[in-house]
Amino acid sequence: MHKLCDAPGEVEENLSAELVKLAGARMIYVLGIGNKDRGDDGAGIVVAEVLRKTFPSYSFSEHDGLEGVVLDISEKDEDAFIVFVDAADLGEEPGSIKLVKADDISATEITTHRVTVALLAALLERSGKRSAVICIQPGQIEFQAEMTDSVRASVNSVAEALRCLMASRAP
Amino acid sequence: MKTLEVVPLTRVEGDGGITVTLDGKKVQSVTLDVHEGPRLIEQLVRGMKPEDDLNVVPRICAICTLSHKYAAIRGLEKALRIDPPEKAQLMRDLMMLGESVESNSLHTFMLALPDFLGYPSAIAMLGDYGDDVKRALKLKKFGNHVMEVTSGRIVHGENPGLGGFGRYPSGTQLKEIAASAKELLPDAMRAVELFSTVKYPEYPEVETVFMSVNAPDGKYGLAGDSILISNGEEVDAEDYKKLTSERVVTHSFAKRSAFNDKSFAVGANARMINMGKRLDGQAADLFKENYSDRWLRNPLLNNLAQAIEMVWALEHLPETAEKVAALDDPARADATRETGSGTGAVEAPRGILYHHYEIKDGLIEVADIITPTAQNLDDIEVHMKACAEKMLAEGKSDEELLPALEMTARAYDPCISCATHLVKLKRI
Repeated sequence: MHKLCDAPGEVEENLSAELVKLAGARMIYVLGIGNKDRGDDGAGIVVAEVLRKTFPSYSFSEHDGLEGVVLDISEKDEDAFIVFVDAADLGEEPGSIKLVKADDISATEITTHRVTVALLAALLERSGKRSAVICIQPGQIEFQAEMTDSVRASVNSVAEALRCLMASRAP
Repeated sequence: MKTLEVVPLTRVEGDGGITVTLDGKKVQSVTLDVHEGPRLIEQLVRGMKPEDDLNVVPRICAICTLSHKYAAIRGLEKALRIDPPEKAQLMRDLMMLGESVESNSLHTFMLALPDFLGYPSAIAMLGDYGDDVKRALKLKKFGNHVMEVTSGRIVHGENPGLGGFGRYPSGTQLKEIAASAKELLPDAMRAVELFSTVKYPEYPEVETVFMSVNAPDGKYGLAGDSILISNGEEVDAEDYKKLTSERVVTHSFAKRSAFNDKSFAVGANARMINMGKRLDGQAADLFKENYSDRWLRNPLLNNLAQAIEMVWALEHLPETAEKVAALDDPARADATRETGSGTGAVEAPRGILYHHYEIKDGLIEVADIITPTAQNLDDIEVHMKACAEKMLAEGKSDEELLPALEMTARAYDPCISCATHLVKLKRI
């Protein structure tokens, strides 16, 4: 796991560069994870929902049944790079973003509230697909909490970085 | 004195841990601690309209979301004397079958199987059992699809309501469900094959009592108005408090249940023990082939029960979907009173789920929700203690003991986020 950036403004630039490096020319799929009923825990879902408006066939959230989506992608005959987006306790300031590469996922216990991302990533790897996780440090995850401003800003940055990347290779 | 801790308990839903206190070769205590904070759902819905309650209570759990919805519907419909039309009842059966496949496939293949095959996780199993991991995902995807078609969304669907549904699926959707269920039956059979051939350690074996709903018409099913107990008793679901006798413990946020001051178990094994003779089709054959007296003692066999139940669900999905398709879409049934009380009892994948309501002048005065994991917690501790005592007597090491304890707890398929239950506050 490596830390991309803490300061607003630099995050988007570094994240984009790192994503381009990892994704290469592959098609990009975004899978958002989390729970919108718990404030910042919904960060991944919000990113996926934003991107879905432009890329309905390439952006999914946990509400779509993540395991089924991963199964479908794994059976597609195309080079794909899957980006999971989830709130994760990084021990950093709220809104901090980290990009976790596929190789590091199994060592980093990240829950999808169902099947672990590590397993989904391993399954994708087995079918020749690559993946990574964008983690956003939550500030508050209490039931019915609002999303904090810092996490909302990071959600916008992540969504914009992914939008640019997806637009560059959309069919 | 030595303390062994399994914190956090992995491959279960929610945050929990096991603490085993050992004094030499003697087990002083075993506690399953639930760290999830109380969410006060029962207090939150007081003063709400019944239909608004249905939007709130399923949020208790994203896994058993439809079980919570259905238990609440049953309790509220009894309280308001609503008689749902036949098609609505069949749709409810369909959604529960979908949830059952979705949950049991995840638990059997992905969460429990690694324990029995000696892998640390499903990820480690991928090399040797990759096809089985894919089977699990296929079954789970199908279960999710049935839940989406019937309830409107995969998680927290709002289509089921009091007196019926907002809309009913098309004939094409129902035909697809029937066809997919038939196609996936071999995948569920594979789960039974795996769980009927693995070795079940004897360490956690202790005789216990099992409770399940009594499904109507002498059939195997996932809802009922009375409760069957493996000692031969049958109790009206309205008397659920006599069966659960809830209490608070100091080491955990979750309330506990006991029957006649002793632990009891709910879940797929309880359903099979109490209603297994009612199974039909291949599920009946598999039950007969695999059932033995050990089911009454060994909680690990809950995994095999879940696998057989998956076969039963896939065998019944086509027939249920066809029955739904054959009926015209009915209007929702209306409430015939505004004051009353009622208890809904359904079988969530993990066991009996109770939702009890008292309504006055159209508003909820009292809500009481007792989840299956909360009912199982005492029993988990009893079986873990037996497991620890027998293993220590045989001189097993701590390294051998820890995974065996976790495996025992996991066999109950505990959903710890559900088990966090309101603690009643007394003001003085």
